[in-house]
Parts: sequence; C-alpha cells; structure tokens
Amino acid sequence: MSDTNFEPKIIGFFCNWCTYAGADLAGVSRLQYPPNIRVIRVMCSGTVSPHHVLRAFQKGADGVLIGGCHIGDCHYLRGNFMTIKRMRFLQDLLKFTGCDEGRLHLEWISAAEGPKFAETVRNFTEKIKNMGPSRLKLAAQAA
Amino acid sequence: MDKLRVKVRKLLQEGKVAGYVGYIMKDSHPLPHFFTKERLEEVDQAIVAPGAARYPLDKLLQQVAERYPEDTFAIQVRGCDERGLNELYKWGQLDPEKVVLVGVACPQDQADYCECPGPWASVIDYGEKCQPVAKSQRVERIDALAEEDAFQEWLGHFKKCIKCYGCRDVCPMCFCKECSLEHPDLMSTGTVPPDTIFQLVRAIHMAGRCIDCGLCEENCPADIPLRVLYKKGNALVQDLFGYQTGSPEAGASPWKMLGDESTLDTKPM
Repeated sequence: MSDTNFEPKIIGFFCNWCTYAGADLAGVSRLQYPPNIRVIRVMCSGTVSPHHVLRAFQKGADGVLIGGCHIGDCHYLRGNFMTIKRMRFLQDLLKFTGCDEGRLHLEWISAAEGPKFAETVRNFTEKIKNMGPSRLKLAAQAA
Repeated sequence: MDKLRVKVRKLLQEGKVAGYVGYIMKDSHPLPHFFTKERLEEVDQAIVAPGAARYPLDKLLQQVAERYPEDTFAIQVRGCDERGLNELYKWGQLDPEKVVLVGVACPQDQADYCECPGPWASVIDYGEKCQPVAKSQRVERIDALAEEDAFQEWLGHFKKCIKCYGCRDVCPMCFCKECSLEHPDLMSTGTVPPDTIFQLVRAIHMAGRCIDCGLCEENCPADIPLRVLYKKGNALVQDLFGYQTGSPEAGASPWKMLGDESTLDTKPM
C-alpha cells in the first residue's frame, strides 16, 4: 500500500460552467497541480450518474473528483442538488461495502476559483497517493 | 382463511374487480393464481402462501394491469407487497384507483426471518399483527466491520455471481424497459463473474425503491446477501433524505425530480 512510486489515476467530472472554467483559470494563471487527474467535462455535475463513478472505479480509477457550481449558482438553477444527493448516498454506500468513501470527493468550485481548483486537485491527489491503489481496481485486475 | 375467501368471492361476484391475484393450492403446491368470476369455485382453494412459497404478485399485477388498463383488480398483499404497490403508484406503474387490497399479516417467524419493520398490510383479512423488527442485525454486523474486512466479505459474495439476472427479474420494483445492468457502456459484457460494481449498480437503483420483500435473495442461486445491501440503501435514504420507502405519506422519491432542494453539505476531503 505504501508504494512511494505509486501514481494514482484520478478521474475528474467537472461541470462546464464553473469547475471546468475554474480549471481553465488555474491553467492561465499558471498554477501548478499534479497531472494524475484526467478531466471529463460534463454540462452539469447533476448529469454525473453514480454509474459513471462506479464505472470509473471498475476501470481502474483510484479516485474520482466531482466538481460543480456552488449551491445557488448552478447554470441550470437546481442541477447540483441532484449531485449532492447522489454523491452523498454513493459515498455512504462505498463505505458500507468497504470501497473507501474517501476515494470519491465532491467539491463546489466556481469559475473564479482557480487557486481553489489547483489546491483541491493537489490535496486530493496527495490523499489518494497515501491511500494507495483502490481495492476495486485490485479486485478487477485479479479477476 | 374463510374471511379472505368470503371477501374475494364477494368482490368477484359483485363485479367490483375483474380478477384477483393471489395464491391457490394445486396438487398440494402453493402457486400464484389469477382468480376470476367465471371460475368462482377456485376461490375455495385460495390460500395465503406460506413464507417459503412467495411470488412477486406485484409484478404479476403490473402485467395484468398493463394488458387490461380499464379493469380493477384485487391482489393479496403482505406488508412488503403493499409498500411495493405504494412505490409503484408513485412511479406511475399502477393506478391506485384500480387496485383492491386483500391484506395479510405475517406470522412472527416470517417477520423475524425478514427482519421486517412492517409485517402487515393496512387492511388485514388474514393473520394477526406480530412484533415488527425495527433494526436489522445483518446490516449492523457489516456496519461494525473495518472497511477492508467489509470489502473482502462483499467481494467474496460478488465473485459467486453467475449473472443470471434473477435478482432483477424477480424484483417487483424492477419495471424499467432498458436496464443499466445490460448497458455495454456501463457494464462489461461476456464475463462471469460480472464487474464487481454489478451489485452496487443494482443497489443504487434499489435505494428508495426496494420494499424489502427479499425475493431477490431467495431467488439468488449464489446466495448473495442482496437484502443486506438493499436494506442499507434504504436506511441511507432514510438518514440522508428522511424518505421512508414504501410509505404512502412519504411523498415523491428523492431521486424522482431533478431540482428538488437539498440541505446536505459536501463531505470534507
């Protein structure tokens, strides 16, 4: 587990209007963050189904980061209410089945929060690195 | 049993219902059966099936109702079956105006086996109310495990899966025409055991929908403790959203509408 050379694969689902734009801002501001994250842009974080998260874990993701607009700032007004409901439920289900709820994280990041974006990705990558490879991934590889 | 038979016979004779979905004792086997006015003598063989011989009557009723949308039908319901009907009404699969309940209260041994929190129907035509079981010890046992141990236990079960879809096919709440479990972009195809996430995807769909009848677990040839998973899903839905699955007073499911407000906060990293 404590493999120092372990480079986690992290999938990011970012909403087009806030977090993805926040990532853009982090980029043009030349803020550094680890390259372990693979970004998938979605129109709204509310469109991210728990299936997509589970599929990512099945396919070998060590962590999944969901980024959406702050509550009240959703481009579609109320899309991110569904995000929080789904992700909180999924985190608890992952915990119950021993799949590490901490591997799934949801953060509200606005288009103006480039530094917050970079910091979140840095912290999350560091956390997943310390956790080591995901049990779901190891089980899938052994099968 | 007489009270139940008298009620069913009366409903059929008076034409209040076009049929009754219940159980019959045939050649000393308890079987699900569709009773009609034309074969009224069969009502003498109508029974309440013992716990070991349960069928998804809600599912059978959906098929009948789909074929004869204008007709009203009676159905034998335990507590779980009625919770199922309530959910099916909410999801627009059945019309409450066209369903008449013939209610059953489960015996104590059945309630204990099911760890059932509501082992009787709102109308009781057979049986007596027993003590409900508020907490599931099976769920509490897994809750107490360390995450690594919990994972190994579930993995051991999931590996036994032969992907027969028996859990889904028997489930009275599985009414989707297209199923995520068969979606090639969401689930690997052509492998047994299926993806580890197979049962988790089903667990997500069952949250706030599973009425804890337990038929999936009884149907499973690999003895996967599916019920524990779905019981936990419902407990989470209750904790997070205050939604009591199957309750007629609970309002719409928390998953039904995009845009229902939520006061939940994100978890800290």
